[in-house]
Amino acid sequence: MRRRDFILGAAALAGGSSALFVEQQRLAATVDYPGREQGHWLRDTQSLPQPGDTIETDVLVAGSGIAGLTAAWQLTKLGIGDVLMVSGPEAQGNAAAGRRGDLVYPTGAHYLPLPSMESRHIREMLFEFGIIQRDPFGERPIYDERFLVHGPAERVLFRGAWQDGYLPTEDSGPAERGEQERFFSLIESYSSARGKDGRRAFAVPLELSSTDDRFRSLDRITFKSWLEGMGFKSPTLLWYLDYCCRDDYGRHFDEISAWAGLHYFCGRDGLAANAERGAVLTWPQGLSALATRLQESANLGRNWHAGSIAQLRAVPSGVEALLVVFDGTLKCTRVKARLAVAAMPLFVLQHVLSDGARYDFSAKRDVPTYAPWLVSNFVMRAFPEERAGVPLAWDNVVYQEPGLGYVVSTHQDIRLGRPERTAFTAYHALSDMEPNAARRWLQSASSADLIDAASQDLRLAYGWRLPLCTEHVAITVRAHAMAVPAPGFLSNPGRIALRASPGPIFFAHSDLSGLSLFEEAAWWGYRAAQQIAATRR
Amino acid sequence: MVDRILVISVFFVASCGLAYELIAGALSSYLLGDSVLQFSTVIGCYLFAMGVGAHLSRYVRDQDVLARFVDVELAIGLIGGVSAALLFLAFAWLSAPFRTLLYLLVFAIGALIGMEIPLVMRALHARKAAFADLVSRVLTFDYLGALAVALLFPIVLAPRLGLARSGFLFGMVNVAVALWTIHTFGTAIAGARQRVLRAAIIFVILGAGFIGSQRLVYWGERGMYGDEIVHALTTPYQRLVITRWKDDLRLYINGNLQFSSRDEHRYHEALVHPAMQSLPWARSVLILGGGDGLALREILRYPHVKQVTLVDLDPQMTRLFSTSEPLVALNHDSFHDPRVRVINADAARWVETTEESFDAAFIDFPDPSTFALGKLYSVPFYGLVKKHVAAHGLVVVQATSPYFAPHAYWSIEATLREVGFQTFPYHTYVPSFGEWGFILASSENDFKPPRQYALPMRYLNADVTQEMFTFPPDMQRISVEPNHLNSQALVRYFDEDWHRVIR
Repeated sequence: MRRRDFILGAAALAGGSSALFVEQQRLAATVDYPGREQGHWLRDTQSLPQPGDTIETDVLVAGSGIAGLTAAWQLTKLGIGDVLMVSGPEAQGNAAAGRRGDLVYPTGAHYLPLPSMESRHIREMLFEFGIIQRDPFGERPIYDERFLVHGPAERVLFRGAWQDGYLPTEDSGPAERGEQERFFSLIESYSSARGKDGRRAFAVPLELSSTDDRFRSLDRITFKSWLEGMGFKSPTLLWYLDYCCRDDYGRHFDEISAWAGLHYFCGRDGLAANAERGAVLTWPQGLSALATRLQESANLGRNWHAGSIAQLRAVPSGVEALLVVFDGTLKCTRVKARLAVAAMPLFVLQHVLSDGARYDFSAKRDVPTYAPWLVSNFVMRAFPEERAGVPLAWDNVVYQEPGLGYVVSTHQDIRLGRPERTAFTAYHALSDMEPNAARRWLQSASSADLIDAASQDLRLAYGWRLPLCTEHVAITVRAHAMAVPAPGFLSNPGRIALRASPGPIFFAHSDLSGLSLFEEAAWWGYRAAQQIAATRR
Repeated sequence: MVDRILVISVFFVASCGLAYELIAGALSSYLLGDSVLQFSTVIGCYLFAMGVGAHLSRYVRDQDVLARFVDVELAIGLIGGVSAALLFLAFAWLSAPFRTLLYLLVFAIGALIGMEIPLVMRALHARKAAFADLVSRVLTFDYLGALAVALLFPIVLAPRLGLARSGFLFGMVNVAVALWTIHTFGTAIAGARQRVLRAAIIFVILGAGFIGSQRLVYWGERGMYGDEIVHALTTPYQRLVITRWKDDLRLYINGNLQFSSRDEHRYHEALVHPAMQSLPWARSVLILGGGDGLALREILRYPHVKQVTLVDLDPQMTRLFSTSEPLVALNHDSFHDPRVRVINADAARWVETTEESFDAAFIDFPDPSTFALGKLYSVPFYGLVKKHVAAHGLVVVQATSPYFAPHAYWSIEATLREVGFQTFPYHTYVPSFGEWGFILASSENDFKPPRQYALPMRYLNADVTQEMFTFPPDMQRISVEPNHLNSQALVRYFDEDWHRVIR
């Protein structure tokens, strides 16, 4: 009897301490699905509700992501004041941010590369906001250093220790280093290459790239097969190039157009007088800082309308749209405008644009594949102890992991004492699953499943200490985060047709380029505003 | 029943055994760094020693098994219990043989623990327990005990009790097992009474250690600092230790010397007076850092200064230097001067938000040894400072040693020039620091080193000042990058420079 008691007691003690440990290892999360409910309603609804009131405006901007905000900012700048902005299901779209207490963090994109010489629209914007301080259109503008990423910018966890940079170099042999050098000298030559039309082979914005078939033919194969053709075999280099594709396009390099893969390295070659090559601009709240500045400069005030455009079509008098507001019940308003900017992704546009054929836009042919993403903010109550190697950087990547690493929201702080709290923003493109399968999984996944997927890199970096230092996890599920630039994307006819729209509906979204970049989104928004201004003259 | 006691003791014995191993591993990685190496070698040494112990156990005669078990428990309790505290003190007082002592202790504990299980098995076997049952029971409890400690150690013991106290606690558990065994088997153990006495003595030692381990940490630090500690406190930001040896008061922050009262007048006179002597019209002065109030003391000597704003991160630091008697005597109670305004805030953030302007600013931050601190010596930070200093005003920056860290020193100088300051670098010899450097910066090119001082000085005069602004051939300017936030060149310079100097 007493032995039994003892064994039970001992088992209870061991079990109790295990339970305590397991309990402390559990992470609590809130999960946000921006646009899911509205998007699925739009997809599934048979008949739209009848509108009550009617709003009239000169220009309707449908969508408040970077394309829509840039359009609104430019319209205001060009003296077009009667603009109605309909935010869409998520204000600021992929540039949105979150907040917990005094901490802000991105729930979407977190950085902007230094703008290339061609990105004059970005330079204009940054100069106006004081982010470029001098020489905005020169080769090397001077930037406000508070927003240039502070060193150390990035590190990679390779064989148990952190190294500088993304590409592991410390333990790789001479053969690997040789290949790395060969790759980057190849990139160097492509960066300066120009086509027969005199344009650069790979430019940001994409529309200004050369149409020379010498380069365009790269869009017929995948980046992986191009690399194989060039004889690259180094495992660390191939991992890095695949990582770059996943990080920017959401899919592995065997699904990405070789043209897009090279564009990543060759197009973004902006320089600064006061930063190293390859530097980026970043803010604690990510690109929401810029989105908010655009919003403020557009000075929309009461012309900002929360809600979504569910239907959009050209009519003899201009444009007619249905504005729906999901607010418990469904409220529907008619919007009449002279002109409109449809600043929404193509997978939404296919359900909104009721006369797509008029623009030669076919849902079946022209809507690209979208990569699903998880953007997970780990709000930390303390900085967990680091492994050996270089100290915590802005972007922290784990070699050969399915995740894409994590960014530290307080990295840009200039302060004497270390902040008590911080947010680690972990990015995870579900690139190991086929996109539709990944979306089905996202639909059914519990918050525990999502945390498991989101925390893989951080678990490897910090082990059991991670949960002890984590206060909260805020997961943003972006099931259609970005269009995938698969081979052939450059010659997609629908995209080309939408770009050429003569109005009254103009289209503006990074999907028109096929690359989900701030610069591309802003480009189309900027261009739409210019076209609208031209109708006045 | 008696058998069960032995089996239960296996549980506790196993947990103690793992605990000492974890403590030794954690303590050595804490003190020496490189946790992978420390844990591997500690575990390796420990397991090997257990093998040796198991081998030695065969030399124990059958009739002595229980008595030896008790002895082994007492020895483990004593050695294991004091091991963490002993190692800590050894590291503090005599750093050289620390590793030797570490592995000796680990080996001794491992060997003793290696004897435990064989002895218990033999004791049980002698009581005619079935062999299969015996092996299974003993090993089950062995592993259960290990599990319990493996979980308790990182979650509860190490963070709550600390390593030294955890060591004492487990030592007491070992002694308790010994006492319990004596109590249960009484007559079967020769010399039981004597062993109880021994156990009691060890228990008292360990108990005293458990209670007094705070004191031990203090003695350990005294060993590290060499002098008597008059004040020690840990704030959320730093560990402040003030030592005294005869009339020499010293402040250490996180183990780094900040000043010695014997020669701090050299540092602070050099920091303050070249600039202040040139600003007879200055009314408002800013000090960033300088929570010891010593730069403040020098500035307050000028009657024309109407207000001094001192921004220091740590309220406990400024409180200590405005209340502790010897420290107040040192800074002439400068914190209680009505002209002084103390702001306990992060200086970098405060400068960003303030709208005030000052006639002079003295920046006395810790050296740029980390990327976070390097930002306080950067182009944008100095740009910000420039906005808050009057056009004719002056800025003085503590800029590390131009002799030991020349690249870092001249990088700070280049950074100040990058934001449009005219710079006037200077240096002085502070015995407790060595050759130390400052940079005086002005928005206009109108600074001339003073040829005389209106106030009496202990150190400065015209000749010394002239020498300060002259750089001898072995300290000439070198061409280095300014510290932009993107590249943080300064932190790398500082790191490389000091690596060359420190062995």
